[in-house]
Amino acid sequence: MMLEVKDLHVTVGGKKILKGLTLSMKAGEVHAIMGPNGSGKSTLSYVLAGREGYEVAGGSVTYDGHNLLPMKPEERAAKGVFLAMQYPVEIPGVTTLTFLKTALNAQRRARGESELDAMNVLKFVRQRATALQINEEMLKRALNVGFSGGEKKRLEILQMSLFEPRLAILDETDSGLDIDALKLVAEGVNTLRSPQRGMLVITHYQRLLNYIVPDRVHVLAEGRIVREGGKELALELEEKGYSEVLKVPA
Amino acid sequence: MSAALAPIEARRAEALDSFRVRGMPHRRFEHWRYSDLRAVLDAGQVAQAGTARWQISEIPDGVEMFDLSSGGAPEWVVKNLGNIGNRPTMEEASLAFADGGVALRVPRNRRIVEPVRLQISHAGNLRVLIVVEDGATVSLSELHTMDAGLVRNVGVEIALGEAAEFSHVRCAPPAPKSFNIEHIAVEAGRNARYTAHFGNFGSRLSRTELHILLGGEGSEAHLSGVTVLGAELHADVTSHIEHVAGKTLSTQLFKHVAGGRARAVYQGKITVREGANGSDSRQTAKALLMSQRAEADLKPELIIFADDVKCAHGAAVGDLDADSLFYMRSRGIPEREARRLLIHAFLEEAVAVIEDGALRDIVWRDVENALPRAMEAAK
Repeated sequence: MMLEVKDLHVTVGGKKILKGLTLSMKAGEVHAIMGPNGSGKSTLSYVLAGREGYEVAGGSVTYDGHNLLPMKPEERAAKGVFLAMQYPVEIPGVTTLTFLKTALNAQRRARGESELDAMNVLKFVRQRATALQINEEMLKRALNVGFSGGEKKRLEILQMSLFEPRLAILDETDSGLDIDALKLVAEGVNTLRSPQRGMLVITHYQRLLNYIVPDRVHVLAEGRIVREGGKELALELEEKGYSEVLKVPA
Repeated sequence: MSAALAPIEARRAEALDSFRVRGMPHRRFEHWRYSDLRAVLDAGQVAQAGTARWQISEIPDGVEMFDLSSGGAPEWVVKNLGNIGNRPTMEEASLAFADGGVALRVPRNRRIVEPVRLQISHAGNLRVLIVVEDGATVSLSELHTMDAGLVRNVGVEIALGEAAEFSHVRCAPPAPKSFNIEHIAVEAGRNARYTAHFGNFGSRLSRTELHILLGGEGSEAHLSGVTVLGAELHADVTSHIEHVAGKTLSTQLFKHVAGGRARAVYQGKITVREGANGSDSRQTAKALLMSQRAEADLKPELIIFADDVKCAHGAAVGDLDADSLFYMRSRGIPEREARRLLIHAFLEEAVAVIEDGALRDIVWRDVENALPRAMEAAK
């Protein structure tokens, strides 16, 4: 297993959010996590990425055989964990290209690889950016500042493409996107599907899963996985709604 | 003795009397409340500090220079030296006790492209006089060295003629054992423009005080600065801009970063005099605190006697944004590097306004040197 989450309990500010979540995923697979608002979807993504303030009260997370939980966010990134965020932050004063270069080289350094010079970074970024319709002008702007919702999400996928993670977590990547932007982002994700890579696609709606077809669907409610199934489970959820599906015993 | 020296000597004697009567500024003066100079330094120490040294490696063509320690001052020096601004006590001290300094003049309509590079070193008092005549343009970098001894007290006077333009970058690296005082007085004629940037990296007590008189219609002052401090360093930037004539414009943008037990102060007073209609003033001051024991004091102040003016001010003190920090770390950037990058981002807009790339680099270099200390928590 690439990712194994066992009986995970997490509290945020004293409040229990995850209450015994169990989940496993093999390399090469795409899993969807669906659930209503407040079910703990974003908490799961933050805990996997290592955000402070999310206290693990029990359970374990194993990634490629290693205990993920004691690692700092930057160590996880260097080891191939990537979280595409629901709300990418705006950072005035740091250009997008500078940020990408700093992050790329920090990861390479942590893995004992040689750093890329400015020219090679630019070449690499250009090559990957074109497919996502990210132009030079966007790269020169301050990170995410003045970007539209679609541009921000495309930049998240560009980073995923540059960092080539082993485990990619996409947190509500579809939120705030119109259908054209959604297709573009989904295409970007699909080209990154590979036998070495696992993807955890977190979403509220089934719509994204029309474009990124999952191998497995998990339904998260009240901090636990309450149902699991194939891609057809997503359709069932869409048709009947969460409240109806959640009545059915797992 | 030439006859021309007499008025200067008379003015210096007057300054000495004035300083003796008023003495050292202290915290009961409202605008010295965050920098209690009298508590740490007495008048005798200032009087005995001697004269600091200055150096200009190359005088650009078209700039006239006069060494204030030599005799036979030309008329433009006699007329202006000690006569610009409102004669605060420490400036009177620098005039009274400095046996030297430098005066620069850019004649009418001369546009000097190369910046004048002034270096100030050693302890003591010092005077600097800049006269930019009508239609002339020049820029000055004022770089301080760290060997400030016990006290360095500099008085700078700047007279700008009609449509004259002067840009000024002052950079003072950390001097933990020194008291570093500087007073800058500016008088701007019609449509004149003063642009200044202050890179402050702290002293035991550091005070940069500006008094700017926008006396000519349409004159402008644009101030910016960064302060980066750690350990027990202190830096105070205090400005007073007086909009005397109509359609005058002033902008200020100051960014401070303080760690350890450092203290960063910004006080910005704007006075809009009666009749200065159509004036516009904006000031922004922000501070980042990197430790529980660091302190930032930001005090904007507006005094308005005219109608039809625009005045805006904002001040904010905070910590680095947790969302931004996590975002960067989640992309593999180690915490310390992420913090550094975010501090850079915070300071960026205040440094970006420096037009001369070489001077911008000097400020960034000093920021880089000061950052490790500023990023430390209190010991």
